[in-house]
Amino acid sequence: MAVIEVKDIAKSFGKTQAVRDASFNVEKGRIFGLLGPNGAGKTTAIRMINHILIPDAGTITINGLKASPRTQRMIGYLPEERGLYKKMKVGEQLIYLARLKGLTHGEAKEKTRYWLDRFEASDWYHKKVGELSKGMSQKIQFIATIAHEPDIYIFDEPFSGLDPINSKMLREIVIELRDRGKTVLFSTHRMEQVEQMCDDICLFNNGRVVLKGDLRRIRKSFGKNTIVIEFQGDSSFLDRIENVRINNRSTNFAEIRVLDGQDMQQILKTAMDHTEIYRYERVEPSLTEIFISTVGEDNINPNELT
Amino acid sequence: MNFQQILLVLKREYVTRLRSRGFIIATILIPLGMIAFVGAGIGIAVWDTGSEHTIGIVDQTNSLYPRLEELAGERYKDFSATTEDSLRHMVASEQLDGYILLTEAHVTLQEDPEYVSSGAGGISLQSRIRSDLRQVIRDERISRASVSEEVQQIFEADISLSTTKLTEQGEATEDDTGFLTIVGLVMGIIIFGSVLGYGGMLTRSVIEEKTNRIIEVITSSVRPIELLLGKMGGVGALALSQLVFWLASFFALAAAAGPLAGMMLGPEMVPGGEAAAGNFNPDSFAMPDIAPSLILYFLLFFILGYLLYSSLFAAIGSAVDSETDTQQFMFPVMIPVMIGYFIMFRAMENPDSTLAVAGSLVPFCTPIVMITRIAITDVPFWQIWLSILLMIATFALTMWLSAKIYSVGILSYGQSAGFKELWKWVRE
Repeated sequence: MAVIEVKDIAKSFGKTQAVRDASFNVEKGRIFGLLGPNGAGKTTAIRMINHILIPDAGTITINGLKASPRTQRMIGYLPEERGLYKKMKVGEQLIYLARLKGLTHGEAKEKTRYWLDRFEASDWYHKKVGELSKGMSQKIQFIATIAHEPDIYIFDEPFSGLDPINSKMLREIVIELRDRGKTVLFSTHRMEQVEQMCDDICLFNNGRVVLKGDLRRIRKSFGKNTIVIEFQGDSSFLDRIENVRINNRSTNFAEIRVLDGQDMQQILKTAMDHTEIYRYERVEPSLTEIFISTVGEDNINPNELT
Repeated sequence: MNFQQILLVLKREYVTRLRSRGFIIATILIPLGMIAFVGAGIGIAVWDTGSEHTIGIVDQTNSLYPRLEELAGERYKDFSATTEDSLRHMVASEQLDGYILLTEAHVTLQEDPEYVSSGAGGISLQSRIRSDLRQVIRDERISRASVSEEVQQIFEADISLSTTKLTEQGEATEDDTGFLTIVGLVMGIIIFGSVLGYGGMLTRSVIEEKTNRIIEVITSSVRPIELLLGKMGGVGALALSQLVFWLASFFALAAAAGPLAGMMLGPEMVPGGEAAAGNFNPDSFAMPDIAPSLILYFLLFFILGYLLYSSLFAAIGSAVDSETDTQQFMFPVMIPVMIGYFIMFRAMENPDSTLAVAGSLVPFCTPIVMITRIAITDVPFWQIWLSILLMIATFALTMWLSAKIYSVGILSYGQSAGFKELWKWVRE
């Protein structure tokens, strides 16, 4: 059953069409990745799902209900632009935010205590947020997102600005939520995070959905037409191979997408003639490669991808 | 619209601010500051009259100087024995503020007296000298003209004005216009200060949520209009609490002032000694009554003024990215407040003038001007209610505008909007 159903939504700001005719479904108990370069329309789509913006056209249903203040309460939302009241105490603040999501004061207090305990942050209850370190307030921000224990979690660029410890923690939370049958949607422009976590993806470019579906199936459909090669020596031979696209190139590593079905053994031979090979492997293409081959090299700004 | 959500926002806004040290200090310090301010004003006035000027008089008529001495002896000194040259020298070296040579020709009005000075004293001194001379010359002429005693008495008659004010019920009461003028002025100034102070607080509060980046977390739970109303209500409740606290402590102090003053001023301190003390009435230290209806109007106009302006101030906060960018929007909002403030001073002098009446009916000036008028004079009912209706209608309009701007503005980060963009948001 689709928990979030997005159908033909569109949103413009003045002359800019941020989202056009986008449709996708998020299934229950899955981790759904919304991907695309910066400015592709991910945040606008997420804001519409959260009923912060109203679509110009199309419909959004959450658990079968039209997006509304009522469906907002079914969602825990971590925006890309996030923050807390600096002068407010941690405990009060978490209770306030949970109450805005419809919890009673008693429930809100109980959940706040529970989650602060779980994050080993009970000592911060009476501290002002402004007194906390950045890493600490990031933890409080997560608690604010999940404390009302909704069924759906939406994280917009959740890993941006996180320190490694919180990054790892968030990844664990997301996996744990999925394992408990919750639904998670998150957006990112960093493809490697999606490859590690997502079950399904939806690729955005210039406000349109260009590719969507089960991540494993998508990768399989592209076939093992990519070579990962590690070597020692002069890398200039890479420039002489024709009809390939080279991603992730460094002095002793390259990811080579073979474009016209040419013999991959030939590439290995060329490489062996010039360098010492440490590793040679045929793999499914990376998401970055899939994204580029879907939208076409001319249609994206390579600087927007990492 | 969900009332529950508005109430939650309102409560947070109110409670966190009420508990803040800054608010508590301001609540106590502002009245003390005002008292100190007024006290300093009185102090300066007292100190100022103490710095008297000395005018040398060379009296060749032998009759004008005695009259001047009788009238204002501290100001004039007889220098009839001194030569004009040495007087000039004394003025130039500032031993003397100035001198006047009085001759028969001045009494017979053939010539005007000439005041030679170093410039000290300014026009207020000059006008005092002019009126002193006018009086002594007139008196001298009357006594020389050998007119009858009766006519002399007519000229000497000193007329003072005693005032009585009729209330609606027709009974004559002692007129407190002077006192009520001050009350009206203070009320107008409090509304003026609150509109700006609390409006500014609301602007900062809206900007704070934007710069903290918490706004998107909040809007994923609360509709912008609910958030806006909650914030306006919270800051408004804070303003009202402060005001009620001030009013209560004012009346408590006023009630205690009479008996306290009576206790402190023992018999020996009252002029006239024990005999006078028997007649001493502590009530003379109590304030004249302030009508309850005036207090109610004050609260009403306070609330209406706050609502009208706070809706605009909130919109300003949502349109800008940082506090420094508020200037361009603050300016057009400040203009009507300032105009109202200046009209208030005219209304104080003449509460029924065309300017005062018109000003009190312009919604953006009403709260400041109308309360001053109501305090001083009996404003016709239709004017009061018309002004209230106009304010409510204007508030509906500004609230609508503000809600439009606010709901777009709070989610636009990175740069402050211009007037053109605001207009676009409103039309959307």
